[in-house]
Amino acid sequence: MTAAERIEELREEALSAVASAGSTSDLESVRVRYLGRSAELTEIKKSIRDLPPEDRKAVGGASNKATKEIEGALHERLESVAATEREERLRAEAVDVTLPGTPYLKGSLHPSLRVIDEVVDFFVGLGYRVAEGPEVETDYYNFTALNIPPGHPARGMQDTFFLDEGLVLRTHTSPVQIRTMLSQEPPVYVVCPGRTYRRDSDPTHTPMFNQIEGLAVDKGLTLGHLKGTLAAMARHVFGEDVKVRLRPSYFQFVEPGVELDVSCFRCGGSDPNCKVCRGAGWIEMLGAGMVDPAVLTEVGYDPEEYTGFAFGMGPDRMAMVRYGIPDLRLFFEGDLRFLHQF
Amino acid sequence: MRVPLSWLREYVDFDLSADELSDLFSLRSQEVDGLDRLGVLDGEVVVGEVVEFGQHPNADRLNVAKVDLGGQEVQIVAGAPNPYSGARVPIVLPGSTLADGRKLKKAKLRGMESFGMMMSERELGISNEHTGILLLDESYEVGRPVSDYFPVGDTVLELDVNPNRPDLWGMIGVARELAAILKTTFRIPEPRFEVNGEPTSAYILRVEAPDLCPRYDLRRVSHVRPGERAPLEMRRRVHAAGMRPINAIVDATNYVMIETGQPIHAFDAHQVRDGIVVRRAHPGEEMTMLDGQTRQLDEEMLVIADEERGLVVAGVMGAETAEVDDETTDVLVEVATFNGRNIMETSQRLGLRTDASGRFERGLDPEMVAYAMERVTGLLAWNTGGCPAPNTLSHYPEPVAPWQVPLRLARAELLLGMPVEEGEAAERLELLGCKVGREDGCLLADVPTFRRDLGREADLIEEVGRLIGLENVPARLPGVPLPGGLTPNQKKLRSLRRLLADLGLAEAVTYPFGPDRWIEDLGLDDDGRRALKLRNPLSAEAGNLRPALLPGLLDAAARNRSFGARGGALFEVGHVFEPQEQPEGMREYALRYRLSGEIGLDAEMPAELLTGVVEKGKVAGVLAGNVRPPGWNIPAITAGFFEAKGLVERLVPGAVFEPRPRPFLHPGRAAAVLLDGAEAGWAGELHPDVAARFGLEGWPVAAFELDLGSTEPDPLMRFEPFYNVPAVSMDLAVVVNTDVRVGEMLEAVASLGSPILADARVFDVYEGAQVPSGQKSVALNFTFQAAQTLTDAEVKAELDRISEQLREAFGAEVRGT
Repeated sequence: MTAAERIEELREEALSAVASAGSTSDLESVRVRYLGRSAELTEIKKSIRDLPPEDRKAVGGASNKATKEIEGALHERLESVAATEREERLRAEAVDVTLPGTPYLKGSLHPSLRVIDEVVDFFVGLGYRVAEGPEVETDYYNFTALNIPPGHPARGMQDTFFLDEGLVLRTHTSPVQIRTMLSQEPPVYVVCPGRTYRRDSDPTHTPMFNQIEGLAVDKGLTLGHLKGTLAAMARHVFGEDVKVRLRPSYFQFVEPGVELDVSCFRCGGSDPNCKVCRGAGWIEMLGAGMVDPAVLTEVGYDPEEYTGFAFGMGPDRMAMVRYGIPDLRLFFEGDLRFLHQF
Repeated sequence: MRVPLSWLREYVDFDLSADELSDLFSLRSQEVDGLDRLGVLDGEVVVGEVVEFGQHPNADRLNVAKVDLGGQEVQIVAGAPNPYSGARVPIVLPGSTLADGRKLKKAKLRGMESFGMMMSERELGISNEHTGILLLDESYEVGRPVSDYFPVGDTVLELDVNPNRPDLWGMIGVARELAAILKTTFRIPEPRFEVNGEPTSAYILRVEAPDLCPRYDLRRVSHVRPGERAPLEMRRRVHAAGMRPINAIVDATNYVMIETGQPIHAFDAHQVRDGIVVRRAHPGEEMTMLDGQTRQLDEEMLVIADEERGLVVAGVMGAETAEVDDETTDVLVEVATFNGRNIMETSQRLGLRTDASGRFERGLDPEMVAYAMERVTGLLAWNTGGCPAPNTLSHYPEPVAPWQVPLRLARAELLLGMPVEEGEAAERLELLGCKVGREDGCLLADVPTFRRDLGREADLIEEVGRLIGLENVPARLPGVPLPGGLTPNQKKLRSLRRLLADLGLAEAVTYPFGPDRWIEDLGLDDDGRRALKLRNPLSAEAGNLRPALLPGLLDAAARNRSFGARGGALFEVGHVFEPQEQPEGMREYALRYRLSGEIGLDAEMPAELLTGVVEKGKVAGVLAGNVRPPGWNIPAITAGFFEAKGLVERLVPGAVFEPRPRPFLHPGRAAAVLLDGAEAGWAGELHPDVAARFGLEGWPVAAFELDLGSTEPDPLMRFEPFYNVPAVSMDLAVVVNTDVRVGEMLEAVASLGSPILADARVFDVYEGAQVPSGQKSVALNFTFQAAQTLTDAEVKAELDRISEQLREAFGAEVRGT
């Protein structure tokens, strides 16, 4: 058999081996066998220089051509086999996408404090600062300085927790207003969020609850400014469409004293069975008023020069209304079934 | 204040539905709690005469009556057995609606037709009496509507009266208020009676404590018919207003109290020895009161007595001694005002609040006394045949008179933010009972004595504003002349809470008061600090103010466990409280500060010394049980020391952890958190015994508690340069004695100050078969990095330096590589 015939035989053998190879590793074996360092075709190429010069060209040409052809076939085949293998591998790697994802820990922020943050942000946007104070208060800051002297009937309205003589758990955050006014000159624009305490426990009262109070003292402030400020706050918290109304009320440290109702953001008063407003169309939201001149005098402000307004609201109740929470007591039990909903 | 509308109409005319009236009161005066309906809402009640009355043929408990309704005879089935042939009874006709919403129809009861219903007092809204049918006397004409005699239905406005308005605790005050709202007039009943009784001056009146009793009037009404009942309409009104009808004398005093707001007391004159003495209680004096309890009085309590015994704790409650009863024929009527604060304190000390004490507490108008006396005297004469004495004994040394308050219109417009017309303002004040004069831009109001809440201009402005209507106040926003914002600390607190929530903890807000066990079970009483106590806790379980956030969070964790949770992670930001020892001699200054705000001593004095309370902001976290349950592809995260420490490392960058035991922590898993050498808090695993006491037995519990000031959840960012050449990572495992602290090994490495060491990380700590007993293998990974590519030799030299440092400091032997 001539070398050329052998080359042709090897070429055919190799091409058919390539064609029947089913995997990349088969193809690698085929490559080694027909094109590798010790493959027969390689040996033939190495031996060309031993051939008679007149044969060299033909054998050389044929072997090169066969090599190229085999390489080309290998390459082509490899691509298609590799593609198939990749597809198979990916197919095998498929997961059940309905299995749950890796559970990262989920924390939560308390609903009342979410409301406080939101209300505080609103007032900060208006130019207010946030003032804070102690929860164990003196009789003076909690009552007397707020125009509630000893023996005043209004002290009886607030069931107070007492500590050592002259010390109470603050019944409202109003003492923070006094502390703020005593520490600076007007103008004053502050909100005071915090925990407050009253000796009261039933389905709608807990002995601790949150409050946000606000205080503005400046030249020329009117009840109209109070109304406008609180209307804007109500729209911020409960939606652009809510309306507010003022009703007369009584708090010892404001005069006139008012209560603010917010129109029901759920039904607007159209649903007699509304779960939010119970058909009233209005939700009682907060107490407020113009700072009593006696309070301004007490902190050394001239009530003829300055007027002011103050307001106080219950973020727990606001959270109940907003999130549809039926029972105030849930707020303070640390129950994860509750906390994880927020 | 319960205001029956039928009664209100006696004083003032109004053309409003109950709902409209309720809205109007809410928007102009006082909040309305609700409307209470009594009797027959809609329909007809007529006087019937029973013609026949007998047993129902098919039912033992029912009766059948034939009733004449004035020409028409009907059959009615009734449960009550008390009607009889000839009795006059109220019959409500079919088609009527009762207060409870029932609509009456013609019915068949056990086979017998029943046309309408015979009514009890309760069904008519007269009283709570429901044992029998109301029997009417001969004056009720058969066939006439009962409403010709008294209202058969009523609506009661339930006013939530603010404490500054004692005048609205009476119907007359409510009528005046409504008239002022509606700009109309109202009328007051004029007492009329003949003076024909025994003189009051057979008795003495001596007020020994005038400071507690500004006014005391006493009048005798003799020849009273004993055991008389009040007229039906009076009983109906007293009942509708929320009181229990008793007898003609007591009902008259209650009726006038409801009308005027002024409590009135009636004594049986025959039981009073010599007269009335108003005095402070004697030391050790006791009184057995109408509720059957004997109470110890003290010398600050005011007693109405005769010459021998105490008869009444003034303004609060009487003893049985001289109360009127069905035998009483001679009455001494007391109408008085007492010092409101004294009554409040007495009632608090006795633990006894009554309708009367609630009224006196608010401070009543002494000028109301005379009218109330006339009115009750008239009603007693009218209803019991009693004969009023010609004279009233009166102690009223300092009569009160109207006072003048100026109102500047400009000031009113400033406070209210709306225009206020002079005429309008004057008219409203006059409607409220003021006499109003004018003086350039100013109204001068003479305030009536029953409006003690109107002492200042601002008070008058409120009255004018609310009566004009607060809906007329325009809404404006003030131009705040200051930049607002949160302080750095307030921002930090926000970040802190958000970070902990992002790290998977649920924010809790827990009560700061708890049981003694909080302190005892945590072993916190050992170090001499006792928790602050509430004087009047809601229960014995809530008497201590928390000295730490931990116990409240542990209780919450236990509660979650009891409801089936496998674990959880909670955090809280809040205040804790500790007693502050006060230097000797401070007490007096402390009390002055607490009661009057005066520092008294040095103005720089820390407030804690005066209050005796240190209040601090803390953040705490509790991890209990399985903080994260196992997933199908990952193991559970269980509470442990390093879980708590990891959180603290995020909250307090730069914190150093030093082993330091605490009574409530696992002794080998407790660390103090140090920041710049100062203790900022602690982290650790709960002692298993303590966990068990808190209801967390068998659970791993880890926790931390930190001073808020030490936390830095959002540290200042500062750019560190880095090099775009590959870093080299090398592992080094060394064997050291088990008591060597890895933290100190890392410090020793850091102290070398290697210029190319970018990071050192512990990736394994091993004790066991592969290392000698008493030793452990610590595997460290180092990342080396420089501005240019490091050579193998440079890296090896640095690693050798590290090994050498560890060998020198800790005897560390490098394990075979």
